[in-house]
Amino acid sequence: MKYEIKIPFFLAFRQLARGSKWTLALTIFLMAAVFINLIFVSALFRGIVDGSNDQTINMNTGHIVITPNGDTILPQKDSIISKIEENTNIEALSDQLQLNALLSLGENNGTWNILAIDPEKEKSVTHIYEKLFEGEYLETDDKDGILIGRQISGGEGVEFDVFSLHANVGDKVNVRIDNQEREFIVRGIFYSKYVEADMRAFITRTGLSEIAPEMEDATNRIIIRATEDADLDLILSDFESRNIAGTFYTWEDMAGVMKSVTQSFLSIDVILSTVASLIAAVTIFIVVYIDISNRRQQIGILRAIGIKPYIIRTTYVIISTFYSVIGVSVGIGLFYGIIVPYFIANPFSLPIVDATLVVSPADFIIRAESIILISILVSLIPSFMITRMKLLNAIWGK
Amino acid sequence: MEKQNNIISVKNIEKTYSLGDIKVKALRRISLDIQEGEFLIITGRNGSGKSTLLRQIGLLDWPNRGEIYIDGQEMTHLQKKKRRKVRHEKIGYIFQEYALIPELNAIENVMLPAMLIEPTKVCKPRAIKLLEKVGLKERLKHRPKQMSGGEQQKVAIARSLINNPKILFADEPTANLDSIAAHGVLEVFEKLNNEGHTIVMISHEDEEKKYASRIIELRDGNIL
Repeated sequence: MKYEIKIPFFLAFRQLARGSKWTLALTIFLMAAVFINLIFVSALFRGIVDGSNDQTINMNTGHIVITPNGDTILPQKDSIISKIEENTNIEALSDQLQLNALLSLGENNGTWNILAIDPEKEKSVTHIYEKLFEGEYLETDDKDGILIGRQISGGEGVEFDVFSLHANVGDKVNVRIDNQEREFIVRGIFYSKYVEADMRAFITRTGLSEIAPEMEDATNRIIIRATEDADLDLILSDFESRNIAGTFYTWEDMAGVMKSVTQSFLSIDVILSTVASLIAAVTIFIVVYIDISNRRQQIGILRAIGIKPYIIRTTYVIISTFYSVIGVSVGIGLFYGIIVPYFIANPFSLPIVDATLVVSPADFIIRAESIILISILVSLIPSFMITRMKLLNAIWGK
Repeated sequence: MEKQNNIISVKNIEKTYSLGDIKVKALRRISLDIQEGEFLIITGRNGSGKSTLLRQIGLLDWPNRGEIYIDGQEMTHLQKKKRRKVRHEKIGYIFQEYALIPELNAIENVMLPAMLIEPTKVCKPRAIKLLEKVGLKERLKHRPKQMSGGEQQKVAIARSLINNPKILFADEPTANLDSIAAHGVLEVFEKLNNEGHTIVMISHEDEEKKYASRIIELRDGNIL
């Protein structure tokens, strides 16, 4: 027993080192392909979900939104802002006044949300400025400029084109808030692919003072960007302890339709991952079964010269473990070395988001472990069969 | 009871194979005693039952009926594990097709059966000695595909000797060899027999019969 335990390692090492290099390479490549197949779809769905969540944060809400407690505007805005800024986990904030406005251009008109902002503050929280489809972002003192989302401007492939203004950069759009109206020049059109965000327009605080001077300093929404990895629940608790007068929401609370979409993707991911796991198990079984079946005669010889069946089975478990560990390692290398960088450079352009591939460490470990475990289990089945068959049949390779 | 100097004693063994619905009686109540140190050649036409007989007494297969004694111990009722132990310790088996592991070199092929019970540092020098003994001093690190048929068969003989068995079974060991290689292999068998090993060998060739101390012929599953 003391000496025989090393025989499986001896045999496995010799078979791997001196067997057919083509078979070895092909088997490892197949394992790598199975692993990539198992993580690719999941990574894509995670990418879509993460991308959608990032859209909500970067195009609309930041990490936290504060709205009035039953009032139409936030009272004592400056006090609220200074209390928020005392929290060290806050990176930036933008106070906004969000209103319903009737926008008209020629015969086209519609009611959309318009936000009065300080463009520089907004830049520090949302990334609308990065999503300019045409034109340019607003300057702080631009009293005539308006930035409109592509669902308002309209255009080819736009979901709500039929209801849009069919506006271009430079067009003069009439903005009506309550009973006051004024013309603004379209400075830029942004397109984030996040429909809710693209159905909004932005003017500066200076511009607001031109159309509704009484509301120039009013704020009914503060959006906040937290530092990376900050715990949002802790921040909200801190706000409550500071008696900040307002209702607090995280970006998840505000995700709306996007939340249903992302949850649907996660459910589909579970279903497809289960199917992919079954396909992985069958593929690995076929690969290992063919490999071991081709060695049937050799196994018969080993039995004939007195090698115990458990030693033979252990040999093939070691070989299968090697195939799967190296296959998974190659798969990781290909996935992170080629596939992920490629899709970062060329994201999947989907109607709701430009998605890259994202794998959580837990998902990654589970899938790698699954491949290795499946390989071990499926190597046991054919090696059990061959070590239990009649010795003469095994020797003759029957 | 079998005689004291019979290393193998076969009593009324029968073996029947099924080929679909057809039953083929390969061995018909064969009895045979083989004395220690004998060089027995079993001969006969194809299908006469000689390979079947060798596999029964070589413990690679079970007879349907009868008893087999090896070194005084009855084998047919032994459990698989105990049969494997006897096969491992007392028997060396040489196949017509050499049956070497292609990924192992000559030394490794030879020492493999001994690695179950001994450390490598003990069995490796013995494997080298055995390979030298069968005339393969220059082929120690060659793998099967780098050797001729005769050399491979000599490696198989060396492997069968690694656990110092009393009995060697050889199933047409020269069938795939040219006459020069066959002669080399038979000289090795003769040498081993002179050293005291009991050898039971199947052969078709008349010129090989000169090496035997006894020859039996099988026909239709019976000893003539």
